[in-house]
Amino acid sequence: MTAAPCPGVIGSVPIWKAAFFSTSHASARDVLAGRERPFTPPAYGLLVGRARRFTSLVTQMHIEVCGALQPEAQRAPAVFATCHGEIQTCERLIADFRDTSMVSSARFALSVHNTPSGVYSVATGSTAPTMTVTGANAVAAGWLEAALIALEAERPVLLSIADEPVPPVFCGPSEPAGFAAGFLVGAAPGAAGPAPGCVAELAIAPCGEQPEPDPSIDPLRGMARAADAWAHGTPVTIALGAIQPGAMLELRLRPAGPRAPGEARA
Amino acid sequence: MTTAHAITAAAIANCLGTDGRTVLDRGFAGDDAMSPAGAFGEFPFATVLGVMPGISARRGLRAADGVPDHELDCTPTRLAMAALPSVRQLRPAVRAAVDRWGARRVAYVFASSTGGLDETERALAPDPRLPLASTGYRYIDHGIDATSQAIARHLGVEGVCTAISTACSSSFHALASALRLIDRGLADAAVVGSADSLCRTTVFGFHSLGLTAPTATRPFARDRAGITLGEGSAYALVERDTPDTRRRALVRIAGIGAASDAFHHTSPHPEGLGGQLCMRQALERAGLSPDAIDCVSAHGTGTKLNDAAEAAAVRQVFGRRVPLTATKSLTGHTLGSAGMTALVLAIESLRRQAIPATLRARPHDEALGVDVVDRLTAAELRHVLVNAFGFGGSNVSVVVSRPDMVRS
Repeated sequence: MTAAPCPGVIGSVPIWKAAFFSTSHASARDVLAGRERPFTPPAYGLLVGRARRFTSLVTQMHIEVCGALQPEAQRAPAVFATCHGEIQTCERLIADFRDTSMVSSARFALSVHNTPSGVYSVATGSTAPTMTVTGANAVAAGWLEAALIALEAERPVLLSIADEPVPPVFCGPSEPAGFAAGFLVGAAPGAAGPAPGCVAELAIAPCGEQPEPDPSIDPLRGMARAADAWAHGTPVTIALGAIQPGAMLELRLRPAGPRAPGEARA
Repeated sequence: MTTAHAITAAAIANCLGTDGRTVLDRGFAGDDAMSPAGAFGEFPFATVLGVMPGISARRGLRAADGVPDHELDCTPTRLAMAALPSVRQLRPAVRAAVDRWGARRVAYVFASSTGGLDETERALAPDPRLPLASTGYRYIDHGIDATSQAIARHLGVEGVCTAISTACSSSFHALASALRLIDRGLADAAVVGSADSLCRTTVFGFHSLGLTAPTATRPFARDRAGITLGEGSAYALVERDTPDTRRRALVRIAGIGAASDAFHHTSPHPEGLGGQLCMRQALERAGLSPDAIDCVSAHGTGTKLNDAAEAAAVRQVFGRRVPLTATKSLTGHTLGSAGMTALVLAIESLRRQAIPATLRARPHDEALGVDVVDRLTAAELRHVLVNAFGFGGSNVSVVVSRPDMVRS
């Protein structure tokens, strides 16, 4: 049996709410304008007391944007996406072990990729499922996963994307800013919820064979564009990353409802 | 009720062996394959480990184990070497699936918790002041990607390729993700792979949490003392439900449920709340009542709290003493691969109509109120529920059914 190739358009989901944070930019628009600020940590107000201890920057940033999506996102299934995971915790864990032959139990416990989702579910008391996608195409995979869950379930889905800078010792990518973006997608979060800011269409588009990462795919700028498009109702197409050989996932945002293009959300 | 797609091929490798038949035969024979920790490294505390035979990153698996070096076009990390035996087992079935569906219609969803941490550890060990690049280390080998993509290329699959990491429930989330890809029409088949390898940080880390056992793990025993960490891989080929795949199915995936504990990052909810929720959801999606389940393959790590919480959840959901087995007593805890490892053993249970023994479970902890199977037990098995729970309170349950027991 010969099946059809992957469909171009996977499906459309409304985006009810969006949030953005960058350690080096005051807003998504500042990212796009190239206006930087001194390093600024997130407030991550969802966490209180002991829950704030030992949390890494990436967890704090995830929590920051998840907090901004409350209360509508409460009890929504959640997809967390991160290319590098708890890479700063990992560096400290290995350094501690190297220097002292001991491993901090708290640090080890919080070193797994799904630390932010676990911290989030404990903080909000949500027993809804959470999952974490990772790897170089985590942003694309996260959007895909969130959309598929949203299309499957008749509930809104929280998508939280975040990455912290990789410590220099790893000789990995040099991304100076930590950032996070959160989106509430899918079915309406309830009668009292917000109006959808825009509709997200996900599509698989051919991109040719590229052995190296496509420099046009920049998670920080891409998610800043998505958050900005949601806030201002501007249509935009964003390359999210490779999703299969020779094909990338595209996020096509268009305004929902009668708002005029360029009209800012309050 | 969800569509019950078919698992048409499966593969497994761990401390019991690197070829599937050996693993399954030894597992159902109740062989004890745990090793002294010295088989992997020196530790200043007593522990035993489930070390995969012959595994050694860089050198690859020994020729005697039937797995040559450099079969994958990636750094031969310990993670890659843990995955490779299962990849080899599954390769003929995957290539047939590629012929059947087309390479771009076969997805690859990979799961791991530890990823390439072992590689980073060893690069840091000689001289931590040196930048890692000067040791020949590549950052890409720290994560899951490099191994995952190399395996996808090796298998010739060109569908959607993603990686999932939710600690010890990783592989079941990967399975759920694969089913969504098929349900939504993005794939007709999916290779669901999982692998994790031992590393010192993990062993020390679990010890720091007081979770490792000084002797081989004894799930649900009265004097259980903790986890035996292991390593290995488990794979399944999932194909869209059709009359043809029904005929070829080893089992069908009747239902999956997922939920969070929302209680504590590493300690389970005392009543196993997340476990209850995900087991109930898996049953609901399977269209089955709890009475239809013939065996529960428990997450069963062997820690005091985990086993007590899971037993409480099983009691709440089933309301009866359903036969329960804990296969980590055979394989060790393979972390991100734990769910799929137990699932492949459950597939074999349905084939053999027998429940493998939970080793070292005597004397049972009667206070738990569960019926632990502690010897190989013949039984009429139609539906088996398998649990995988992890850090972050992440819980997933899967119901797999004998192919003839699912209505289409």
